[in-house]
Amino acid sequence: MGRILIRKFLETLGFVLFITFISFLFIRMAPGDPVLTILNVDELSVSQEQVEALREEMGFNQPLLVQYGQWLLDFVRLDFGQSYVTGQPVMKMIMGGLPATLELTGGALVIMLLIALPLGSLSALYRNSWIDHMSRLLSIIGAAVPSFWLGLILIDLFGVRLGWLPTMGRDGWISLLLPSLTLGLAISSVYVRLLRSSLLDSLGQEFVRAARARGYSELRIFWVHALRHSLPPVITVFGVSLGSLIGGVVVIEVLFAYPGIGKLVVDSIRQRDYPLIQGYILVMAAIVFVVNTLVDLSYRYLNPEMKLKERKTG
Amino acid sequence: MLGACSSPSSSAKEQGKHISFLYNFSTNSLDPHVDSSYVPIRAGITETLVRLDEDNLTVAPWLAESWEGTDGQNWKIKLRDNVTFQNGKPMTGDAVKASLDRAMTESIAVKNALKIKSIQADGNTLQIVTTQPFPEFISELVNPNTSIIDVTETDVVNKPVGTGPFLLSSFTPGSKLEVKRYDGYWDGASPLDGVTFAFNEDANARSLALRSGQVDIVYRPEIESLDTLNAEPGIKVESTSTFRVHQLTMNMERPALQDVNVRRAMDALIDRQKIVDTILLGHGEAATGPFLPSLPFAPTYEPSPLGADAAVDYLQQAGYSLVNGQMQKDGKPLQLTLLTYPARADLPLIAQVFQSDAKKIGIQVEIRQIDTPEDYMAANRDWDLATYSNLTAPRGDAGYYLNATYHPDGALNFSGAEDPKLTAIIDQLNRTVEPEKRAVLAERAADYVHDNVINSFVLHPSTIVAYNEEKVKNWITTRSEYYMITNKLDVM
Repeated sequence: MGRILIRKFLETLGFVLFITFISFLFIRMAPGDPVLTILNVDELSVSQEQVEALREEMGFNQPLLVQYGQWLLDFVRLDFGQSYVTGQPVMKMIMGGLPATLELTGGALVIMLLIALPLGSLSALYRNSWIDHMSRLLSIIGAAVPSFWLGLILIDLFGVRLGWLPTMGRDGWISLLLPSLTLGLAISSVYVRLLRSSLLDSLGQEFVRAARARGYSELRIFWVHALRHSLPPVITVFGVSLGSLIGGVVVIEVLFAYPGIGKLVVDSIRQRDYPLIQGYILVMAAIVFVVNTLVDLSYRYLNPEMKLKERKTG
Repeated sequence: MLGACSSPSSSAKEQGKHISFLYNFSTNSLDPHVDSSYVPIRAGITETLVRLDEDNLTVAPWLAESWEGTDGQNWKIKLRDNVTFQNGKPMTGDAVKASLDRAMTESIAVKNALKIKSIQADGNTLQIVTTQPFPEFISELVNPNTSIIDVTETDVVNKPVGTGPFLLSSFTPGSKLEVKRYDGYWDGASPLDGVTFAFNEDANARSLALRSGQVDIVYRPEIESLDTLNAEPGIKVESTSTFRVHQLTMNMERPALQDVNVRRAMDALIDRQKIVDTILLGHGEAATGPFLPSLPFAPTYEPSPLGADAAVDYLQQAGYSLVNGQMQKDGKPLQLTLLTYPARADLPLIAQVFQSDAKKIGIQVEIRQIDTPEDYMAANRDWDLATYSNLTAPRGDAGYYLNATYHPDGALNFSGAEDPKLTAIIDQLNRTVEPEKRAVLAERAADYVHDNVINSFVLHPSTIVAYNEEKVKNWITTRSEYYMITNKLDVM
């Protein structure tokens, strides 16, 4: 266990260096720099000279490697810089928005579980029945409908027509319902199908037949044996698809004006607020690392075979 | 009122007289000196020394009662008496000086814009010297980033303390702020108890929020949803022309466009009314020049010939003729590259209309999408025309636009205009103090731009606001878009 963590940690360090360097390059090579935003050229009279002077002052004329080195030095000192736009420390802004985003992701995961577990299980248990066909149809629709559109339909239904739920903002759990429902619906379609095929695979395995032969109840076979055995692939995919979940959060946050870091990063990309974009990528890399580690560790609980293999090879 | 109780915002209504306002940009900071979405002034928290008089489109007193500065460099500003900040402290000359000093330290944009050398406070009078004769100094103080706040308050980012009719009670970055009435407001306290000022960048979601009753006023609902909103009982849609102009920038460094007749042909090809009607669904005003016609320095233009025939005439004068369906000169077809960018959704559509109209008279227009027009146009000169959108008199003065767009030093001079006569007019404008004389010079510059077709002007888009007319009283859709929540706003 300790060795795994140390190895993971070193891997992460390399990963963080790689990802921050690549993103640094991409952000700076993209057209546009924050100088025009800072000088507010849209509304204030500015001369070319002043633009050039500020560019020089902010170090944008230095080679990219020097700029990255500077960022890295600050990073080692745990200084993540200040937003060019608000002048606030980047980490303070990100930490301010993080709870809202985690709330939303959590809400979406709960919705996803509430949909995917029963639907996936039922369509595996009653293969080729009407419920199987229906769930497959639903997952195709779910995969095809863009989440912002789904969100607008839900707003129209629950906000405008029925008037039950607030359509935007973050005022307690009630305002979490619509955005997490939208996001949860959007991601659940993948997991319904995945759980179904994984369960079908497990149900056909030797140990299920053996359990049946021992006379265990179908319910126990399903919950204790088959379901547990079919979760690792689902969780693996979850680890991998975390990125797209985060991407989905960004869209939903903008639509529902939910004040998380997704919205924050959209603003900062528009304004070329480099320190904030860079800080966001760093925090996301850290979250992906933590989740992937948890996913790895969860295999050992769900599938005892892996622990055995490790003992043999290690 | 009964029906409203079933809506999700009923809890807000229990607080008494309350209005919910939904704006289309969000902000993560309320520091009035750096926040470029100007939320503190829009939400009625802060005020500036002078404001824009929306009726006459001139600069009017606000926190300043009067000002003098005949030489354009030494300014004396007399502040209004008996103004207090929302923490009860009096607004003194020293407090205003400290606030202006802070604005210039925090924002390099403000520092550049004000060109202040020194400020001296003496009671309720300020003596300000600018670094150079700078006649538009007073109009620059309309800029919301020069808002007067009490700088002794520590958390300016999350809780600025200004002199406006509403004081901040809570702020959720990126989402909303709550303000409540400031009883000591100098111009008469608001009849409202409080206002929720929320943000949502999605136009569809904004329209739906109004229809659901969650908010009472929405800024810029989606144009496509206006029919639905209009049909809804109790919702009023209002639109007013802005100081913005959508223009066709001409790159004067390209050989074909160096000929004024080619530029005139381009200008004649723009079917302005069609664009206003089809793309903006009527929510705009066809433009002849850069300035809104109601501004005191907007020239009256002689109508010039427009349409495809006029364009062909101009091109023939420039030596072009139609060969095999192509407009040619010396065997070379007229092919143009037109830049556009998606950040303003109507610009790419305008580009397409132009492209198809040009094709009808044998001109090939290649449309190229770019991301950030300011950067691209400054760094690359491989284009002929560009759709661009610009505020032309954001503070009621023409100096900003003329300097930025037509002076050789200007940061937005993408057409590459370097015309000694035009530069001389702008330089003279920059030295002239009296508003009437400035208006004459600004008018002369706008005329010069028009006569030489340095750029072409398409339309002034409107600001659209929709609100619950059964509840909201005294809402005014301003042209400057600076003043939204005022002490006059009320509920029925």
